[in-house]
Amino acid sequence: MKLTLNPMFSSLLRVPPAYFVFAALFVTLWVTKPQLMNVNVMGVFVRQVAPLGILVLGQLLVMRVRSIDLSGAGVLLIVNYMMSSGIMGDIHVLFYIPLALLLGLIVGLVNGYLIGRRRVSAVIATLAVTTILAGIVQFFASGKPPGAMPDFYNDIYNTKIWIFPSPVAFWIVLTVLMSVFLSRFVFGRYVASIGENPTAAHFSGVPVERTVIIAHVMASVIASIAALVQSSSIAVGSIRVGLEMPIDAVAATILGGVVFGRGEGGVWGPFFGVLCFALLFVVMTSFGVPEPGKLIARGLIILLAAILYGMRAAKS
Amino acid sequence: MTATLKNILTGKNSRQGLWILPLIIVVIGFVSLSVSTEDFATSQNLSNLLKQAMPLIIVAIGQMIVILLGGMDLSVGSMISLTTALLAIDAPAVVTIPLVVVAAVMVGFINGFSVVRLNVHPIIATLSMQFIVLGVAKLIRPVAGGSVPEFLVQWVNGTIFGVSTVFLLTPIVILIGWKLIHGSRYGLHLFAIGGGAAEGQEDAAHNFGISDRRNIIVAYICSALFAALAGAFLAGRIASGDPNVGTIFALDSVTAVAIGGTQLSGGIGGLHGTLIGALLMALLSNGMNLANLSAFLQGSIKGGILLLVVALQSRKKMGL
Amino acid sequence: MNSLIKLTNISKSFGNNQAVDDVTLELNSGSVHALMGENGAGKSTLMKILAGVHQPDVGSISRAGEVVSLTSPKLALDFGISTVFQELSLLPNLTIAENMFLGREPKRSFGMIDTKLMESQTKAALAELGLTLNPSTLVSELTIAERQFVEIAHGIKADANIFILDEPTAALNAADVGMLNKHIRRMKDEGKAIVYISHRMDEIFDICDTVTVMKDGQHVATKSLSDMTPDSLIAMMVGRELEDLFPERSDAQGACLLEVKHFKLTSVSQPLSLKVHKGEIVALAGLEGQGQREIVRSLIGQHIPFGGTVRVKDHEISLPVAANNGIRQMSALGLGFVPEDRKDEGLFLNLPIADNITIGLHSTEGGLAPARKYREVIADTIKSMAIKTSSANASVASLSGGNQQKVLLGRYFASDVDLLVIEEPTRGVDIGAKAEIYKLLRQFTENGGGVLVLSRETIELIGLCDRILVIHDQTIVSEMVAADATEHNILDAALSSGSDATGSV
Repeated sequence: MKLTLNPMFSSLLRVPPAYFVFAALFVTLWVTKPQLMNVNVMGVFVRQVAPLGILVLGQLLVMRVRSIDLSGAGVLLIVNYMMSSGIMGDIHVLFYIPLALLLGLIVGLVNGYLIGRRRVSAVIATLAVTTILAGIVQFFASGKPPGAMPDFYNDIYNTKIWIFPSPVAFWIVLTVLMSVFLSRFVFGRYVASIGENPTAAHFSGVPVERTVIIAHVMASVIASIAALVQSSSIAVGSIRVGLEMPIDAVAATILGGVVFGRGEGGVWGPFFGVLCFALLFVVMTSFGVPEPGKLIARGLIILLAAILYGMRAAKS
Repeated sequence: MTATLKNILTGKNSRQGLWILPLIIVVIGFVSLSVSTEDFATSQNLSNLLKQAMPLIIVAIGQMIVILLGGMDLSVGSMISLTTALLAIDAPAVVTIPLVVVAAVMVGFINGFSVVRLNVHPIIATLSMQFIVLGVAKLIRPVAGGSVPEFLVQWVNGTIFGVSTVFLLTPIVILIGWKLIHGSRYGLHLFAIGGGAAEGQEDAAHNFGISDRRNIIVAYICSALFAALAGAFLAGRIASGDPNVGTIFALDSVTAVAIGGTQLSGGIGGLHGTLIGALLMALLSNGMNLANLSAFLQGSIKGGILLLVVALQSRKKMGL
Repeated sequence: MNSLIKLTNISKSFGNNQAVDDVTLELNSGSVHALMGENGAGKSTLMKILAGVHQPDVGSISRAGEVVSLTSPKLALDFGISTVFQELSLLPNLTIAENMFLGREPKRSFGMIDTKLMESQTKAALAELGLTLNPSTLVSELTIAERQFVEIAHGIKADANIFILDEPTAALNAADVGMLNKHIRRMKDEGKAIVYISHRMDEIFDICDTVTVMKDGQHVATKSLSDMTPDSLIAMMVGRELEDLFPERSDAQGACLLEVKHFKLTSVSQPLSLKVHKGEIVALAGLEGQGQREIVRSLIGQHIPFGGTVRVKDHEISLPVAANNGIRQMSALGLGFVPEDRKDEGLFLNLPIADNITIGLHSTEGGLAPARKYREVIADTIKSMAIKTSSANASVASLSGGNQQKVLLGRYFASDVDLLVIEEPTRGVDIGAKAEIYKLLRQFTENGGGVLVLSRETIELIGLCDRILVIHDQTIVSEMVAADATEHNILDAALSSGSDATGSV
């Protein structure tokens, strides 16, 4: 009982679903809420998803080497807490940046060691890392929300570069950098080969283990950058644990055509995947879909995309 | 016989895996807590301990069935939450209980079907179901509240002939789990399918004439049903519905199973190991509570234990 | 003698490889039917069709004129066909008894498995084969020979009337083989039909009545063994034309590139030594599963041998080679390993041809090095190897088997290696591409390279190589100059029918 697809459908499967979904959502909004269709309003919506967009850059990297990273939630939480609690004492505001990157580096090394060297299931490892980080943060915070974010970051967050809000511009710059890194450096070839066929990559002399470890380190450092941007967007710190961000990152990446090994969507497919989420939030909010509906939408997006991928893999 | 002893001690060449070490830790924990804390060895605390451990024991049995196959079910936590939410809707038990059963069978079926027929990785399938089911639970009951059927509360908290009912419920659940896993053809086939999967030969059991696909779907349904049972127990304990009550069970159940010596790649494990693992987790919480350790750090410690246990297991495949 | 089952005009292909081509075979009650042929002759595929593992593309299976459909192993077993396959299929985490009864466990009350009954019957079945294993032992604790015996016991104990024994004796010693033969004779007396596949000539003549010879997936002949001699049987299995595919040999021979000394695959195998020089192509010949694959994979850390030393040019490498970077270590010394399984281990099917070629070059650079495009290298490779494609950006999956193989070899020719270890240089490749690949390999050696090659196709080894080392039972049993070798004497050495006829262990 093999599922067969007609050729027309299967060639459509090659285009990242993000583009269709983006177009559909865009048209829906245009028709139903034309008043929202201006640069300023859209800028605000897109600015909201900039941290997610940055997180996705790490997620797509690990997913292309057939792994996954859900520890972004933990990194987000700990960076957020570090910046808003005053726990670091009276340090210069700029000092939070290297500290956040260092935290990301440590988390990434732990993930990379567990997944690349010890062959631990990536979901289990990164979920457990999130649990550990969340526990530590909540312990230090004694369950109470920490204080206010330094104004410095809020101020930058609210600036604009030409028509782009700064976080969006930063996100686009990082996306370009990642795109260049993956297409112009040997590392990108390693990633593509491991995603396509890890066994063949090993036989071709690609350092598979090392590449997977480095991908995880990079993903966590990128998560700490996303955390910095996310922290800048809020006035007061929060210690609420939510897997929404990393899960949205997974969903956006899959929507963008990057599915556990396959990298057809490149870097810009997932970029549009994130834009889909920006529009989706607007559509769902403006149609009054409650928070649980968003949870269901997240789950459905991942499941449906994984099913499409599974059907495609079964076919080839 | 020394070889047998050595096998039990190291967990090598044993289908039960390494369960003796966690057992020793449980016994040491028990004894040291009894000695150091006067409150520990009271029947009040012990029945509380068991009551605390009970949902985890139940859900871990279901989780173990799926893990034995080489799969995993991360949707059990949400299934627990959904159960409490369904039980707390304003309807008589004759309606809500069949509703829970139907929901569990559906969730399990979708998981299993996605895995065997649609070729989705078990972790991804059940991770997305985790969100879908949680969303449904939150639609039904956005915040904790409502009231569950009175008899559930009675069963969980009451006594029969002066004995706390939980002492009677536990053996029944264990018996069901034992029958499924170690006392039936179905159980043996679980080990066979998982053994093949761990070796990288997914169709090994199929070549013996076992209908692996159907067995795998049934396993995911079992897992969801056990989660529903755990949810019913929890609902009885807290006497209300709560969409967040189950969340921690997704990872805790995997931790309990893994501590008990069950290999996450499949084919190796035993019910007694899982019971020991679940007890160890409960004992840990109980001990940490008695020692006044922050509830927040307890989460970190459990996460650390999970990492340690899975890092010590060997797996051939890298990635998900 | 009445016919129990008949396979009529069976054909089966995998991709573009025709494994079985229009074969008809009839099995009779009370007879032991030998199925002979070289590696890849289609014996195992034919038997897997009979066992319900594969479905034929064309042809039918019938009993007493009635067509039967064997679409799964279970249906075949229900129909009365029991199989002992050459690759071990037991589940290591179950006990012997559980493996023996898997899928048809006896039940007691309350749906419990009757372990006692299973174990007592297993004990009896093993005792019949002269074994005293405890039925509650896990299969993972058994030796290879013991597993093989359990597999045999599982197969012959079944309630069936057709038995397929696919190389059942590969891991057994002479005494064990005698015990097995006794059982086969008893089954024969009971009127069962037995298909017996083995590479051991003495066994064939000892217990079989009829022999069917297959070659290249086709049926050659079915004859009574009483009319045959070992020599005439070998003659039927071989006899392919030495086609005009092969380039001229050259006798230029230079420095030693690869030297393997005192190499032992396992603690009990005989030590072996071999050398590959500049300018020569050396072959490892032998029948399936004699250890040749493990020997070459030991060189790159994909197998852990018992011991020995390896020297690549001036570098001594201690065994075992590291599993995770053995390939990188070797390629730094100029040794390229071309795996047999093109699709799973060699190529990236959905990536462009260009990337498949340059990955070999890129993998010697650091991850942070800029990814050079190597446009000339790619163009040169495609041109010099005559890879038929419209563009270097086409995916490898779109190419034919022969062109895929050329891309794989091109990866190594493009990178800086002078020693190639190749498993199956032309598997699933059409005849024209074969000739081109042979020419390319010869060019490679003329430019100062050396090649160590494995192949199932004896004729290819004779035509392509300079020296042939015949492997039997994990060691080299014979060395011959390819120019003087014939299919017949290679097969003879590989079967070891002259010397070590009783097998080993």
